[in-house]
Amino acid sequence: MSLNQATRVAVLLSIGQHPVTARARRADQDARALELALQLNHADVIPLHVGQLNEHNEAALRSYLGMGISQIKLIGNSDILLGLEQGVRESQANIVLCGSRAETGEGSGLVPYLLAKKLGWPIVSGLVSIEKLDQGSATLLQALPRGQRRKLKVSLPAVLAVDPAAAVARQSAFGPAQRGAITPQKLSSIEAVSGAEVKHNSALHSFLWQFQPAKKRPKRLKIIKATSARDRFKAAAAKADASGGKVLQGVSADDAANEIIKLLLEESVLNLDGHL
Amino acid sequence: MSENMNNSTLRRDPRREWILRNRLHPQHSEIATEDSSSDVLHEWMGPQGIKRKAPHNIGFIGPNGIRRIDRSGTQQAGSASRKEIAQQPSRRSHQIQHPQQYILVVADMTGGRLSAQDKDILGLAHQLAAKKAETAVMLVVFGEHKEAAFAEAGVDRLLHIEGEAFDGFSPDLRLAWLTAIERELHPDYWLFPDSGLGGGDLGRRLAVELDVHAATGLWQVNLKEQPISCVCRAAASTQDLTRELPRVILALSECAEPISDSLHAVQEFNLVRQPLDQLPRIQDLGAVAVDPASVSLAEAEFILSGGNGIRDWDGFHQTAEILGATEGASRVAVDDGYMPRDRQVGATGTWVTARVYMAVGISGAIQHLQGIQSCDKVICINTDAGCDMVKRADLALIGDSTEILAAVRRKVSELKQEKRHVA
Amino acid sequence: MLNQILPLLIFGALLLAVVGGVRRIRLWRNGRPSDVPIMAGLAALPRRYLVDLHHVVARDKYISNTHVATGGGFVAAAILAILVHGLQLNSQILAWALLAATTSMFVGALFVAKRRVQPPERLSKGPWMRLPKSLLAFSIGFFLVTLPVTGLVPAVLGAWVLALILSVLIIWGLGEMFFGMTWGGPMKHAFAGALHLAFHRRAERFNGGRSTGLKPLHFDDQQQPLGVEKPSEFTWNQLLGFDACVQCGRCEAMCPAFAAGQPLNPKKLIQDMVVGLAGGSDAAYAGSPYPGKPLGEHQGGPFASIIAREGQGLLDAETLWSCTTCRACVEECPMMIEHVDAIVDMRRHLTLERGQTPNKGAEVIDNLIATDNPNGFNPASRMNWAADLALPVLSDVKRTDVLLWMGDGAFDMRNQRSLRALVKILRAAKVDFAVLGNEERDSGDVARRLGDEATFQSLAKRNITTLAQYSFRSIVTCDPHSFHVLKNEYSDFGGQYVVYHHSTFINHLRQTGKLNFAPYKGGSVTYHDPCYLGRYNGEYDAPRDLLAAAGIQVIEMERSGFRSRCCGGGGGAPITDIPGKQRIPDMRMEDIKQTGAEIVAVGCPQCTAMLEGVVDPRPEVLDIAEIIAKQLVEAEEAA
Ligand SMILES: Cc1cc2nc3c(=O)[nH]c(=O)nc-3n(C[C@H](O)[C@H](O)[C@H](O)COP(=O)(O)OP(=O)(O)OC[C@H]3O[C@@H](n4cnc5c(N)ncnc54)[C@H](O)[C@@H]3O)c2cc1C
Ligand code: SF4
Ligand code: SF4
Repeated sequence: MSLNQATRVAVLLSIGQHPVTARARRADQDARALELALQLNHADVIPLHVGQLNEHNEAALRSYLGMGISQIKLIGNSDILLGLEQGVRESQANIVLCGSRAETGEGSGLVPYLLAKKLGWPIVSGLVSIEKLDQGSATLLQALPRGQRRKLKVSLPAVLAVDPAAAVARQSAFGPAQRGAITPQKLSSIEAVSGAEVKHNSALHSFLWQFQPAKKRPKRLKIIKATSARDRFKAAAAKADASGGKVLQGVSADDAANEIIKLLLEESVLNLDGHL
Repeated sequence: MSENMNNSTLRRDPRREWILRNRLHPQHSEIATEDSSSDVLHEWMGPQGIKRKAPHNIGFIGPNGIRRIDRSGTQQAGSASRKEIAQQPSRRSHQIQHPQQYILVVADMTGGRLSAQDKDILGLAHQLAAKKAETAVMLVVFGEHKEAAFAEAGVDRLLHIEGEAFDGFSPDLRLAWLTAIERELHPDYWLFPDSGLGGGDLGRRLAVELDVHAATGLWQVNLKEQPISCVCRAAASTQDLTRELPRVILALSECAEPISDSLHAVQEFNLVRQPLDQLPRIQDLGAVAVDPASVSLAEAEFILSGGNGIRDWDGFHQTAEILGATEGASRVAVDDGYMPRDRQVGATGTWVTARVYMAVGISGAIQHLQGIQSCDKVICINTDAGCDMVKRADLALIGDSTEILAAVRRKVSELKQEKRHVA
Repeated sequence: MLNQILPLLIFGALLLAVVGGVRRIRLWRNGRPSDVPIMAGLAALPRRYLVDLHHVVARDKYISNTHVATGGGFVAAAILAILVHGLQLNSQILAWALLAATTSMFVGALFVAKRRVQPPERLSKGPWMRLPKSLLAFSIGFFLVTLPVTGLVPAVLGAWVLALILSVLIIWGLGEMFFGMTWGGPMKHAFAGALHLAFHRRAERFNGGRSTGLKPLHFDDQQQPLGVEKPSEFTWNQLLGFDACVQCGRCEAMCPAFAAGQPLNPKKLIQDMVVGLAGGSDAAYAGSPYPGKPLGEHQGGPFASIIAREGQGLLDAETLWSCTTCRACVEECPMMIEHVDAIVDMRRHLTLERGQTPNKGAEVIDNLIATDNPNGFNPASRMNWAADLALPVLSDVKRTDVLLWMGDGAFDMRNQRSLRALVKILRAAKVDFAVLGNEERDSGDVARRLGDEATFQSLAKRNITTLAQYSFRSIVTCDPHSFHVLKNEYSDFGGQYVVYHHSTFINHLRQTGKLNFAPYKGGSVTYHDPCYLGRYNGEYDAPRDLLAAAGIQVIEMERSGFRSRCCGGGGGAPITDIPGKQRIPDMRMEDIKQTGAEIVAVGCPQCTAMLEGVVDPRPEVLDIAEIIAKQLVEAEEAA
């Protein structure tokens, strides 16, 4: 048996939420994580979900099944973190793949880190692809800003959190989604919800946490620190928002170029240190 | 002025002349005003003795960034005052002699300098520091940096941790340092920019290490409330969570105003007990070279996109290279075989999210515009001022694409060369 | 001598034909069951053949006359030959009749042969080039052997040489006509074609009827596959239908995707299905291939995947996704074969079982599921376009005369202009109308044609539930796709409505004197028939009548009416976007430009989008509603 065949990948799947209609769906990043797992050769993929199965989320869970996995292990009745930890341990996985952030609730992106800590495994976030699996280690590509990439080697077992730039998840097909199984798991050690675990449970915070629909953040004004009263007045009186763009007609090519460069520099997308 | 001219005929200074010609040069206003009789920068004498005008320097910039021209006759004063603002000399000095407690800021230092977000976070740190007397804001910087303006940004204390390991991705080592700081200083707050792989990653590691339920995606702090509360983006930015302010904070950009009117001590600080070396479990094998032109469109930050109005495709590709832009195209350009299919922007191509989208010779069909809905700034070069792309654009240049792109290439090369000379 | 072997030859050939027929029938029966009535079908066969089929064939006068002579001659000759030579009935009358039949067949065969001298591109070559010779052999052979029976010539034909030549002719003729009919020769079309007509899956199409709605999948039936993966998953009468193809290539000549150089040719597709049902490779196919796909690389069998999961199957998926579902092929096919049903069946498998809807397909489907519209707009903003129009909304008014179905065009700025024009007309005619507003959802058209029957049915059922809450007399829409789905496809799920396309409805308003027009002063106009209005629903006249009434003389394109060329926008083709050599809308715009018209009137948001996507300079694209709205005058003014 080759070493690669021993790779067991637990994929953490949560219920997502469509950004516009808030309808339940497969979470985009989790689906990408599953996609990465499915593309690994000779790896056993163990999809895990902690939560209850109900009519509200069944379709969303099934749409993971529609990606071509035969079952999802359902860990019900549990603190999420504890459930995940036990689920991962009992599945004997040596890689955990998950999204970086949940689409519902707090979506703080802390869960992968908390899980890694509980498992005592290293965590890499920003994962875009797994290049190679060796004995005890994995070679990964990590997303950097502007589409750049960095290569990392991480010792296994490890938690890997997928970047939104990772490959788009394959389409979910109706047939396999309907036929796939969502199998409740009996975990041996689940009842031990100790006091320490509950600490992350928001209900116990002294301050009441409140969720509201996201407010539009105000655009920052360019502050004028004018010295004269007249300027301050003018600045205050000026209209708050620009309407329409600037159209330059009949200017020379050079002037046009200057305008463009000015804007590029303002937006800091033009790097003058680059090669000529 | 005539003296000046005589002077320059006697001893020509090509660099100076070049700067005079080049209004985008950082030193342009300095040198131009030296020459002219007034310090107003909308008119100056060019190197050939021809009067040059900069209509854009008339007026002042309004609060929204739009130029306003004052026709009341005080034009010059307006301009002059703007110059003063730019080089405001008088910042109040902010000194904390004997800090009683600390607020720690771990900056991203993208490209070795404080990022705009870093500066906002420092601003936030000072808002928190102001709540308690003798609180110093300490900045942690890993590895080499090129920043010269820590004082202006609000750094009271600087903890500069050097080492080659910090050139790459070294979260374990960094975390070890942060926990060492925690042990020694037990700061009131830890502040990180909530950005992809910098503070976003390190901040979460520290929070988990310290067993603190961090505030993530924080964008507002309500200092007046007791306990202090904060507002964080939640549920993939579809919700706002209002909660108490924890000790570990991961904040978004524009969460607070950056420091603008004080100067800080930037006093170096050293840890007494440094962390032990450990075997890293994550090893950085280095960056993988990705050519900006071929970065996936969906990830690109700056896209130069060409359409049916491009006559000189070689010039287009060169421009993209010089600008470091990712190439995009309209469907017509793809259909005609000038660009590969994976470069198509629009309804049936890629939906892009670039900060700057530069559309050259693209008319702005609805299917194309759909693809650039979430672009921040759109620049457009087109011969037809009436086309829909011009309506969508923040900056539209009406003219021939070939000429304007050639001019852009020329100017940018000049600027780059100039920058090299300076450096 | 010949007298002795003739019956042997005839009955031998007949026997082989029967054996072949049984084998062929068994191949068809690999398909799934279908609930067509067997006896009623057989009873209707003559009429279907003589009237309905001939109606289509007669569009090409040359071939229809030829076919009557050859086919009629053959059928008569075959029966008579069996009687005269097989059973040796010594009847002068029969013999004379046989002579007449073979003569007719001979003349017909000459015309077939003439057609084959320089056959048009669309015709298949190969064995089909042999057919006229076989026809001649059969007719000459039987003519000559019949002569002695009539007593016209003495039975001198005992001469060995002559007898030998005659036997060869007759064996050849019998071989092709009897044996080949059931063993896969060109004459198979007669055998399969006749049965196909009898057991056609859309019996409604006969007697001048129309049946264009797709057939639903029944998800509660666990036995039913989700679409067609293997030839054996078609129903048996679909397989039979494929076998009826005469390779005339009329479908190929009309197919917009083929003309655009996309990898689709409806004739080849049907022939590939024949290859699939019998097993083998496409190497023997002798017609135009799929553009860009050489012959001989694909193969299949009744129980093999049509689209291979790995390697080459019978087809490449691109072929299926190139189709715009314009039905031009179906409309044109003399054998009344249902290409679109087959294509959608196979797409269903790809989408529902494999999740392989190409390009933007998956995204569009996800959007339809999550936002009820294909572009992912906020469903709560469907009414935003009409914020200033104060349209009555059904959730407020509960009942109305006319329900205006807005379609997804409500999200599109271009189509909003057409919608506004339509509202203006309705108001001018004082029509009592209302909209569903944000309660409206995508009709499901695109989902269904992309093969996502599940999403289609979900949308359809929810729309039907919404509609059931209100009372209205009819639905009017300016989107022919919604029109078709509401009118023809919702009925399978319990939604029965009176639905009008806006051109029909406005024309009706005009006829009843509710609208008055100013004299037309605009540019010259041509009219583009949308597939889903024309071929799918037979509405060719109302738009033309309406434009004429507004004083506009429509300059017709060469391809108009039932032969209108698709704009390329149907069937999700713009979403799957399979590359070809050119774009379908560009070709259509060429058709339009050839008329010299300055304006092309359209009646479909999709056509508007496709045609406006053609780069300038080009004629202006205007919805009929826009043109009419501009011509409106108040009643008093007109008087
Ligand atoms: C279903 C569908 C989907 C589509 N999807 C997409 C898509 O995803 N992406 C897409 O891009 N298109 C798409 N289109 C096509 C779209 O409708 C337009 O046809 C296309 O975007 C036009 O491309 P263009 O702007 O490059 O060409 P044009 O419309 O021809 O515009 C060329 C522009 O260049 C200007 N110009 C000409 N010469 C010069 C010069 N020398 N200097 C400067 N400017 C000059 C002209 O004024 C004009 O504005 C789609 C169309 C349909 C129907
Ligand atoms: S429906 Fe139209 S596009 Fe599809 S095969 Fe038939 S003719 Fe071609
Ligand atoms: S499918 Fe119909 S139209 Fe096409 S070649 Fe066959 S018989 Fe002719």
